[in-house]
Amino acid sequence: MDIYLPIAEIPVNALILLALGGGVGLVSGMFGVGGGFLTTPLLIFLGVTPSVAVGTGTNLIIASSVSGTMAHWRRGNVDFLVGALFSGGGIGGAWLGTFVFRLLSEAGQIDLVIALSYVLFLAVVGFLMGAESVTATMRKRRTLRRKAHYHTWIHGLPLKLRFRRSGLYVSAIPLVVVGFLMGIVASLMGVGGGFFMIPAMIYLIGIPTSVVVGTSLFGIIVISTVSCFAHAVNNHNVDVILGLLLAVGAVVGAQYGTRIGSRIRAEHLRGLLALLVLAVCARLAWSLAATPDDPFAVAPFGAG
Amino acid sequence: MARVLRLPGTALVAALAAVPVATPQARDEPLSIALSTRHIEINSSFTGTSILLFGAVGAEGDVVVTVRGPEAPMVVRRKRRAAGIWINRDSVAFRDVPQYYAVASSRPLAEVAPAALRARERLGADRLPLEAIWIRTDDDADAFRDALRRHKRRETLYRPDVGRVAFIDEALFRTALAFPANVPTGDYRVEARLVRDGRVLSVRSTTLRVEKGGFSAEVSAFARAEEALYGLVAIALALVAGWLGGFAFRKG
Repeated sequence: MDIYLPIAEIPVNALILLALGGGVGLVSGMFGVGGGFLTTPLLIFLGVTPSVAVGTGTNLIIASSVSGTMAHWRRGNVDFLVGALFSGGGIGGAWLGTFVFRLLSEAGQIDLVIALSYVLFLAVVGFLMGAESVTATMRKRRTLRRKAHYHTWIHGLPLKLRFRRSGLYVSAIPLVVVGFLMGIVASLMGVGGGFFMIPAMIYLIGIPTSVVVGTSLFGIIVISTVSCFAHAVNNHNVDVILGLLLAVGAVVGAQYGTRIGSRIRAEHLRGLLALLVLAVCARLAWSLAATPDDPFAVAPFGAG
Repeated sequence: MARVLRLPGTALVAALAAVPVATPQARDEPLSIALSTRHIEINSSFTGTSILLFGAVGAEGDVVVTVRGPEAPMVVRRKRRAAGIWINRDSVAFRDVPQYYAVASSRPLAEVAPAALRARERLGADRLPLEAIWIRTDDDADAFRDALRRHKRRETLYRPDVGRVAFIDEALFRTALAFPANVPTGDYRVEARLVRDGRVLSVRSTTLRVEKGGFSAEVSAFARAEEALYGLVAIALALVAGWLGGFAFRKG
């Protein structure tokens, strides 16, 4: 069942898109990640231009993070003040990101930048997760006693605010800065960026793990909403039809993913995810390093 | 505005009557052409189409038909290996690049028209002039020109083969013009030339419009015309989809 995607301007089988969305949803449900980092490369492999893959990715992330946020909200696991500060920085970052995206498109380098940032960042995430999974499996009996959070120079910054839900008294500056960086990454790569935001929240700022997922999901909704809007206005690369088909698959897939995920041990799950991430990374790296069939590429004048 | 006509190949008279025929010029041999439709609509189930060109000649000779798509500037970039990866380095931009080009003739093109005539009349994709806007390479721009034609051929937008113009009798001829799924939208110019002894006896032209139609056209037009509103709608749909999903599976 081929349908013609209005913005991507290619005919694609709708069932393939539903399956792709389902697969990404399955992975995100299993591992508790957004799955944006998989959607963009997979769409590129399918023949969608990197630009439309990123723009539409921001749209899909809105859909897939809403249901997660709802669940956490019901349990009271969202610190809205933290989320608001993150989002404040994120809005600026997302807008700047889409602007940089446009400049890179016009310079003919956006495909390279997208592919390079994915390779870099999937490699780092994949290796860290893989290493952690191996060490956790080897010494799973030993439990580490940790402090609630570490005190670093971050906690000496001015503009301190009291965050009741998180039980913290820290400066607003690092929250806004991390949000800003998140916004740039999210809009350039079409990802939610939970893998980046969650460690930053826990290790840099000291937000308790109980509220970190709900709060970061809340931040991701705001940031991906702004990215999606900015991409639609600045780059015309958001394909609603593509986004919706992927979203339907993803929402359903996530439910089954969660069930499968609850049956597998956490460290094994992380090991599997690390393998998956490294496989996608290797495939993208290969496409950059391999001698192209044709070194020439053709594009409309003044666009990517 | 021409309506979409789906005519059987035999409805020659009807086709000739339905579509305005290009007006003949003075002092040349009689030549008339007509298309089975002058409007191609790309809707959400479009996978390419083929239309028929009919014509009649009043003198002996060969017929060469060309189809030129809308023109747009294009950039050709060349990748060079740097630090182990392939990066876009040199580039050449071309003005007025036809987004589609096809040619059909009643005998092999080289037999019908000598090289000089093909160059003058721009018959064949390799004869398109492709003028450069800027050249940002130390090498020859011709390599980039060839790459552009190669790219278009790969996308089947510069038809690789010369199509066949078939004579039904001494006067009537027909040919099928194929448009692939990725055919660009815009105004197309269809020209027919009556050629004898390496000379063009007469030329007729007509136009053809390729438009997005149906739902996908409305979506893409809306995305360009009302970009902010489109963005908001996209966000709203995603929010609803996510909310419905979360709601539907809450108990399961």
